[in-house]
Amino acid sequence: MENILEKTMNNEGKRRRALLRQRCFAIASAVIALAGAAMFFLPFVTFHLGKTAYTFTSLQVVTGFINVNGTPVTLPLLAKIAAAACPLAFLAGGVLILLKMPRLASGGFMLAALAPLVVMMTGNSISSTFLDLGVSRVEMSYHVAMAVMLVAGLVAAVLSMSTKGVDRLAEAVFLVFACMSVGAVTIITIYMIAAGTPAIAEIGLGNFLFGTEWAPSSGKYGILYMILTSVFGTLGAILIGVPIGLFTAIFLAELAPRRLAGIVRPAVELLAGIPSVIYGFFGMIIIVPAIKAVFPNTFGDSLLAMILILAIMVLPTIVNVSETALRAVPVSYKEASLALGNTHIGTIFKVLVPAAKSGILAGVILGVGRAIGETMAVIMVCGNVVQFPQLLQSVRPLTAGVVLEMSYSYGLHRQALFSIGLVLFVFIMIVNISFTLISRRGVKIDGRE
Amino acid sequence: MAANNVQAMNAAGHPSLHRSRRRVKDRVLAGLIYLCAAVTVCVLVGLIAYILIQGVPYISWDFLSTSYSARDKSLQGILPMIINTLYIVVITLLIVTPVGLSAAIYLTQYAKQGRLVKAIRFTTEVLSGVPSIIFGLFGYTVFCVMLGMGVSILAGCLTMSICILPTIIRTTEESLLAVPDSYKEGALALGAGKLRVVLGIVLPCAMPGVLTALILGMGRIVGESAALIFTSGMAYDMPKEFFGHILQSGRTLTLHLYQMASQATDPDAFHIAYATASVLLILVFLLNRLASLLSRVFDKSAKARA
Repeated sequence: MENILEKTMNNEGKRRRALLRQRCFAIASAVIALAGAAMFFLPFVTFHLGKTAYTFTSLQVVTGFINVNGTPVTLPLLAKIAAAACPLAFLAGGVLILLKMPRLASGGFMLAALAPLVVMMTGNSISSTFLDLGVSRVEMSYHVAMAVMLVAGLVAAVLSMSTKGVDRLAEAVFLVFACMSVGAVTIITIYMIAAGTPAIAEIGLGNFLFGTEWAPSSGKYGILYMILTSVFGTLGAILIGVPIGLFTAIFLAELAPRRLAGIVRPAVELLAGIPSVIYGFFGMIIIVPAIKAVFPNTFGDSLLAMILILAIMVLPTIVNVSETALRAVPVSYKEASLALGNTHIGTIFKVLVPAAKSGILAGVILGVGRAIGETMAVIMVCGNVVQFPQLLQSVRPLTAGVVLEMSYSYGLHRQALFSIGLVLFVFIMIVNISFTLISRRGVKIDGRE
Repeated sequence: MAANNVQAMNAAGHPSLHRSRRRVKDRVLAGLIYLCAAVTVCVLVGLIAYILIQGVPYISWDFLSTSYSARDKSLQGILPMIINTLYIVVITLLIVTPVGLSAAIYLTQYAKQGRLVKAIRFTTEVLSGVPSIIFGLFGYTVFCVMLGMGVSILAGCLTMSICILPTIIRTTEESLLAVPDSYKEGALALGAGKLRVVLGIVLPCAMPGVLTALILGMGRIVGESAALIFTSGMAYDMPKEFFGHILQSGRTLTLHLYQMASQATDPDAFHIAYATASVLLILVFLLNRLASLLSRVFDKSAKARA
C-alpha cells in the first residue's frame, strides 16, 4: 500500500519536473530569440570599397545606401527582405513559443537562422554592382552578429521543439534533413536559371540557340552545333547501346545458366562503377587510334568515337533497368505463352519484352540522361572542334563546351558558359521528368499481377 | 496421336517448312542474345585487362609514396592525389551520412504518405539524374564564389555531398525497410519510445545496408571528376597542415588521370596516366567487391531473421 502511494507521488513529481523543464525550455528559447532579434542593431557587415570601409548594421542593410562616386547604391532587394525578415521571424518565434505552439515557433526560428545566410549569398551580386561602378577592389567581412543570429536561430529552434519531448525533437530534425534534397533541387534550379539567363538576354535567345558560330573572342555565341552534337551523340549511343543492353538483359533474365549469370551480372555492375575518366582514357588509347587506322584520312577524335564510348557507358544502366523490368513480368504470362506452343525465344520477344515495354523505355530514357550529361569521357575523345557534327569529324558537345573554356573565361563569355549549362539542365529536366512519369506508369502496369 | 499430328500438319498448309523457318529464326535470335552478352563482358574484360597490363608495371612503392611536380621530372608520384581523394571521401561522408540517414529514417519510420513525401521522393529522383557537370557549375557559383570558400577541398566536398545524397538515401531506405516489423512491435510493446526503437533496434539491424550505401557513395566520390574540376581544383601540393588543407585546392586521382592523359605528347605523362588508371581501377574493384560482400552478409542475416 505504502509502496503504491510512493510510486504515485513519484510519478506526480516526475510530471511536475517535466512541466518545469518544458517551461524552462520555452523561456530559454524566447530569451535566445530576443537576443537574436537584438542583433538587428549591431554591426553586421563591413564593405571595403577601395580604401574606404563602410560598416552596416542589419537595420542599415534595409534602409541605408552607399555613396559611390556620387551615385547612391542600395543593396539588392533580396538582401533587404532577408535582413528585415530575420528579427521579425525571431520575434514571431518567441511569441509563438510563449503561446505554446512549438512547431510553428521552431519553423520561425529556422527561417531566422536562414536569413543571414541569404544576405551572405547576395554578396556576390553586391560586389559585382560595385565593380561595375568603377570601384577597384570590393571585399566584405561579416561581424559576430551574423554568427550569433545563425546559432541563436538554430538553438532556439531545437529548444522550442524539445518542449514537446525528445521524440518530437528527433522527428523534427529528421524531417529537416529529409527536406534537404527538396531544398537542393530548388536551389539548383534557381541558380541555374539565375546564372544562365543574363547572357541569353544579352545575346538573344534565337542567336544563342540557333547561331552556328561560336567565337567568344569576336562576340559570337551560337551553340546550335553543340546542341546538335549532343543530340546526335546521344542518339547514336542509344542506337548501339539499347540493342546490346536489351539483349544482355534478356540473357541475364531468361537464358543464362545460373553460374554464367553470376559472372555476367557483377561484370555489368562493375562496368557501372568505373569512373568516366577511365572510359575516356580507354577511348583515347584504343578507340581513337582504331578509328584512325580504319579511316586513315581522319584524326580519330570524332563523333564516332564519342558515340562508341557513350554506348559503352549507357550499357550498365540499360541492362540493369531492363533486367528488372523483364523479371517483373508475371510468370503466368510466360507459362501461358509456352502452353500455347510458343517457343522460349518466341515467348521472350512476343510476350515478355512487350509486357516489360515501359520499364525498358524507362531504362532507355535513363540512358539518354546519362549520355547527354556525360562530360569527362567525351572531352577526351571528341576532338572539341565546334562544327556541324559529322561522323568522322571532330565535334564538341554542350558539356565539353562548358568545361573546356571555364578556366579562362570572364564577363559575357563566362555567363554564356552558364547559359550552356542552363540549356543542358533544361534537356536533363525534360528527360528526368519523362522518366519519372514513364516509370510511374510502368509500376502501375507491372503491379497488376 | 501420330494420326492427329499429321492431320494438324495438313490443316496448317506447309507446317514443316513453317516450323523450320521458325527454328532458324529462334536460333538466330538466341545467337544474337549470346553475342550481345559476350560483347558486354568482352568490353569490360578488354578495358580492364588492357589498362592493368599497361599500367601495373609502372606502379611501385615510389609511385605511391612520392609527391608530384609538373616541372621536376624526378617527382612523379601520386601521394598528394591519394591524400586529396581521401580527404574528399572522408569529409563528404561525414557531411552526407547524418543527412542521408536522417532523411531515410524520416521517410521510412515517421512519414505519412502525403504531398511532402511525394515531393521528397520526386526531388531525390531528379537529383540522381542531374549530371555531375551541373553540380560542378552549381558548386562553383554557390560554394566557391557566393559563400566565399574559394576553389577548395571543402567546396568540393559540399558539392559531392549533394551529388551522392540520392544514392545514400535510397540505399539506406531499402535496408531500413527490410527490418521486420515484429522487431519494432516487440520493442514498442516493451515500452520503448519511438526514438529509442529507431536508434536502438531499427538502425543497428539495418547497419550492413547503411554501410553498403556508404561504400557505394565512396565509389561515386572516387570516380567523380566533372563535379570536382571547378570546385576542388587542380593543385597538387602536398598538404602542409592537417586541417588547413581543407581550405586549399586539391586534385583527386581522377583529375590527375585526366590531366596526365591530356598531355598526350609526353610519354612520361602517359605512363603516369596508365598507372593512375590502374590504381583507380583496383580501388573501384575493391570497393565494388566490398559492397557486394556486405549486401550478401545482409541478405543472409535477413533470411536468418525471416
